[in-house]
Amino acid sequence: MYLTLQSAQPVQPVQTFQPIYTPSIWENMGDALHQSVTRVLSLLISLLPGLLALLLAVAVLAAIGMLLSYIVRRILTSVRFDDRLAGNQSSGIADWSPSHSPTILVARTVLWACVLLGLVIGISAFSASYSADSQTPYVFLPYLTHSVGAILLLFVGNLIARFLARSVLIGAVNQKLQYARFLSVGVKWLVLVLTAAMVLDHLHIGGTIVGLAFGILFGGIVLTLSLAIGLGSRDLVTRSIEKSIDRSDLISRDPLAPLPGEEVGETFRHF
Amino acid sequence: MATIDTFSNPARAAETGTGVATGAGEGGLLVSLSPLDHEGLQRTLSNLSAAFPGESLLIATPDAAPDSSSAENAQGNIRMISYAPAAASRDSWLLTAADYFNAYKMAKDHGARSILLLGSESASLAPEALVRMVHAVSTGSDLASPSYALGPREGLVNSGILYPVTRSLFGTRPHFPLAVDLGLSLRMAERLATVAQRFTAINQMDALIWPVAEAAAVGYPIAEITGVARSIPQPATTDLNAVLARVAGSLFADVDAKAAIWQRIRTTQAGNGAAGVPASTLREPAMDISAMLETFRIAYTNLAEIWSLVLPPNSLLGLKRLAAMPAATFRMPDALWARIVFDFILAYRLRTLNRGHLLGALTPLYLAWVASHIGQATDAASAEQHMESVAAAFEAEKPYLVSRWRWPDRFNP
Repeated sequence: MYLTLQSAQPVQPVQTFQPIYTPSIWENMGDALHQSVTRVLSLLISLLPGLLALLLAVAVLAAIGMLLSYIVRRILTSVRFDDRLAGNQSSGIADWSPSHSPTILVARTVLWACVLLGLVIGISAFSASYSADSQTPYVFLPYLTHSVGAILLLFVGNLIARFLARSVLIGAVNQKLQYARFLSVGVKWLVLVLTAAMVLDHLHIGGTIVGLAFGILFGGIVLTLSLAIGLGSRDLVTRSIEKSIDRSDLISRDPLAPLPGEEVGETFRHF
Repeated sequence: MATIDTFSNPARAAETGTGVATGAGEGGLLVSLSPLDHEGLQRTLSNLSAAFPGESLLIATPDAAPDSSSAENAQGNIRMISYAPAAASRDSWLLTAADYFNAYKMAKDHGARSILLLGSESASLAPEALVRMVHAVSTGSDLASPSYALGPREGLVNSGILYPVTRSLFGTRPHFPLAVDLGLSLRMAERLATVAQRFTAINQMDALIWPVAEAAAVGYPIAEITGVARSIPQPATTDLNAVLARVAGSLFADVDAKAAIWQRIRTTQAGNGAAGVPASTLREPAMDISAMLETFRIAYTNLAEIWSLVLPPNSLLGLKRLAAMPAATFRMPDALWARIVFDFILAYRLRTLNRGHLLGALTPLYLAWVASHIGQATDAASAEQHMESVAAAFEAEKPYLVSRWRWPDRFNP
């Protein structure tokens, strides 16, 4: 029975099944890591030309800056720039120059202007090199390219904030305002908040949230200051109005008659 | 833009309307007047005529009408010239660079050998004072500086800052380093015009010049004319901060520019003692200084951080004690005030902070000194005594300034 059945069926060729090779989990992980490293390396390699351009631009412009600075310093020294400026004490540059000499100030300005120019050119080159291949996810690069402007904004904003804060503080103290420090701090934070908003906007961080938050914060500070000054200055305004009323009364008075409550000798002169 | 070489150029003089005069003024005295109203001009002319009878005077004034140019006046001995100032000053309460420049230019053009430079409100000057100023110059002094007879509560910036700083640093005795009337020899006028020209050349007509310091710097003899009574012109603005910043800033800049000179000066010239006849011997009524003290106390609360950049801890401690002092016994020690002013001069030189801020931060301290001075200066004699003791304190503290000037980074308790 068994044999009959076997002979009735056509003869099938014998199939040889080779064993399928299944990679282990470690090998899979190794491959994945290898591919990742390859991608990272290729990314870095693709960045290298831009980075090299950036470094080269900074280095070349810094060298040019040093050369120009040296030449400017020699020229200014030869024309006795410091002496000429010392003769003109009230010239604007003298107020801003460091304690060393105005010549050094000008030379340093030339040097740092060149370095800044190098940074700008280098970052432009860097930006151009990555934007050519937009498929690659360079998430951080836009921030880097805007970072120079952002740092400059932050620096200038801080300087302006400190200068204005001091100006307001000294002016308010000399006006005998009790809330001078509060006013000064308020002005300082106004400028700092404005600077921070500008920096974030420049870096394209936050989008509309920054604008909204800035508006709320700025408006809040201004409102607080207005209320504080308004409430704190009630007496000042009252006195001012009283003075103006008194002054209008004086128009019809005899100019030589002493004022009410005024005593002879109750005055002093600074000059 | 005028330059110094135009001084000896007659053609240039003709262009500016001065002309080249002969007669009055040539080899003699040129009187340069600041702008005056008609009545003031007439009074000044009569005073001059009374002071110098029979002498021919050349008077330069921007007020004279064009048709009176180069015309003899009614008094006969006065020859007036009107001039279009080569450099016009916008501020008339003090003598400015433009005034010195114009005066020397006219003296050179008209061959005058000495100059009487009279500031604003000169009609209130007595003929005797004019004579004494001219006499001082004609007897060998290059600079005759008047000492005005003021009340005990007048000229406080001068008493607290200008006089003591100038006396201690330059060793000079004149009580008014920024006097509004001066007698000048021709060489002194030339010196002042040379300094003034640096400012007028860059259109800074209102810059202040310090004639006493200039004379001390070149060693020219200085005479002080004591007891000169006159109406002192006051600044048009009532903003003390602006005026103090202008005057003190100019003085500090001048001190900075002459550092090499005043560091070598060790002694003060022998003087003629008191500033002059006091304007009044009456005892002044007590004055309310609470407003000034309030400003100082508000400043102490708020500006301590800024002051700490300028002043050493010892001075800050002194200010702390002052801030706690009641008004009745409020007295600022002279030595403390001297060190404060010297530290501000040093900070001005080093640009420790913005110069506008620095001078603004000085105002409350100055008001504290004024409050202290008013408490002590109850009459003219006590005011004079306090003024001298302040000046002596500045002289005593000069080594402190010299030391800090040379070694500003050295530890200073």
